Amino acid sequence: MNLSKEKVNNILVLSIEEREANLSKADHFKQLVSEEIDKGERKLIISFKNVEYLDSSFLGALVGILKHLIPLNGQLILTDLNGDIENLFALTRLNKIFNLKQDLKTAMLDL
Amino acid sequence: MNKTILLVDDDPFQLRLYEKLLQNNGYSCKVALSVDAAEDILKNNEVPDLIISDYEMPDKNGFEFRKRLLQHDSLKNVPFLFLTSVNDEHFIQQGLDLKAIDYMAKNIPPARILSKINNLMLAVKEHYERSLSEVKGIAEKLNLRNIPKQAPELKNFTISYFNQSYQYQPGGDFIDFIKIDDRHTFVILGDVMGKKWGAWFFSFSYLSYIRSAIRLCVIDGKYTLSEILERLNRVICADEFLAEIFSTVSILLIDDDKCTISYAGAGDLPVLKYEQGCNQLVEFRSDGILLGFSEDMYFSDLQITLEANEELYVVSDGMIDFQVNEEKKSDMEMFKKKLFDLKSSLEPTEHIVNSLFNKHTSQVDDCSIIIIKRK
Repeated sequence: MNLSKEKVNNILVLSIEEREANLSKADHFKQLVSEEIDKGERKLIISFKNVEYLDSSFLGALVGILKHLIPLNGQLILTDLNGDIENLFALTRLNKIFNLKQDLKTAMLDL
Repeated sequence: MNKTILLVDDDPFQLRLYEKLLQNNGYSCKVALSVDAAEDILKNNEVPDLIISDYEMPDKNGFEFRKRLLQHDSLKNVPFLFLTSVNDEHFIQQGLDLKAIDYMAKNIPPARILSKINNLMLAVKEHYERSLSEVKGIAEKLNLRNIPKQAPELKNFTISYFNQSYQYQPGGDFIDFIKIDDRHTFVILGDVMGKKWGAWFFSFSYLSYIRSAIRLCVIDGKYTLSEILERLNRVICADEFLAEIFSTVSILLIDDDKCTISYAGAGDLPVLKYEQGCNQLVEFRSDGILLGFSEDMYFSDLQITLEANEELYVVSDGMIDFQVNEEKKSDMEMFKKKLFDLKSSLEPTEHIVNSLFNKHTSQVDDCSIIIIKRK
């Protein structure tokens, strides 16, 4: 699982450097993000700029991360979702629980 | 589906030779010039079906690689073959002690290498199928079934359902029909997030809770789907065992006397209806969030009317995943169009389903569809 990270002030920006976010990467992804939360990160942005396809295992990992973050008063924003992925979020109402933003710049303004 | 083999050798010429030989014979290959490069590939890709590694390599050698793989739960059982120019008893013994399935001398002719690999893959497949059938047999004996044997017979509706597993492994889709009495029948389609065995295992927990929630509500005289889902979701959120396991679900209640259908859903895809004389499928979107995320979730009931010969389609997300030109995508509109075109050309239900499943030549998840037709 290739995940690049960058700290901008108190915001941790994670970019998924994979075209396919699927079962084989879901557990590792969840572990990497959970480690950051355990280290004290509370404001996270995850960029999907390079992701073309997201499967239900990876979606499950994302929901798990959000569920973990909410009681800690953390914030998570997902950015740069392609049209198909954004549609999938809308069709399954995941857009109601995730904060989705068009790009990093807009996401930063929200945190 | 092509079997994937990871080839590890520090000699680029040798690596290319094996890659070509295997690719020409239907295998898909990943190649690495060192153990470090191989570990990177393993980290970032799906687990291969076989690993073939040279013994003598600078930095880490094949034995070291094997020892490292044995420490990983997800990799230790991947069949492993040593490839070597060293050919003495001591070496062979050491390799086999590391649970390598076999070794191959580099100088054996390509045809024999290929036969050896083909035989090995066949043996692994047979072993897997035997184990799978044993597990399925035990599940059957325990009455653990996430896809029922048959749909109930109704007076005014016919129910058909189809499920296709992903890579011939059980998955997270589950279907259930609960016929309460001659009037009321519940139809359930759920999808535990994830794939293969993990999702399959948890689908039984979800199914038990759904059955219990429905039965308990019915005993109390409550037939409101939103209420059933709210109760169900609260129980699931309270179960620590399911703390990080989420599921979508579509629940429909058929009233066979009044000929009405109620529908509610949690994180599910829209239910589709084919109306005669319409130029596209009609969508019914539920409003619930997937089960297990938060205790405070609310759901609504939708009423759907079906006229004679009209059909309702309930689908899992695997149905809308497609692979086009090597690229995977989830596309509800593409699925709707395919289904509508088939329906408009008056294809019978069996043909429609076969066609939808067969079109998934590059299926990427387990797929399920339930079709409810008004007689």
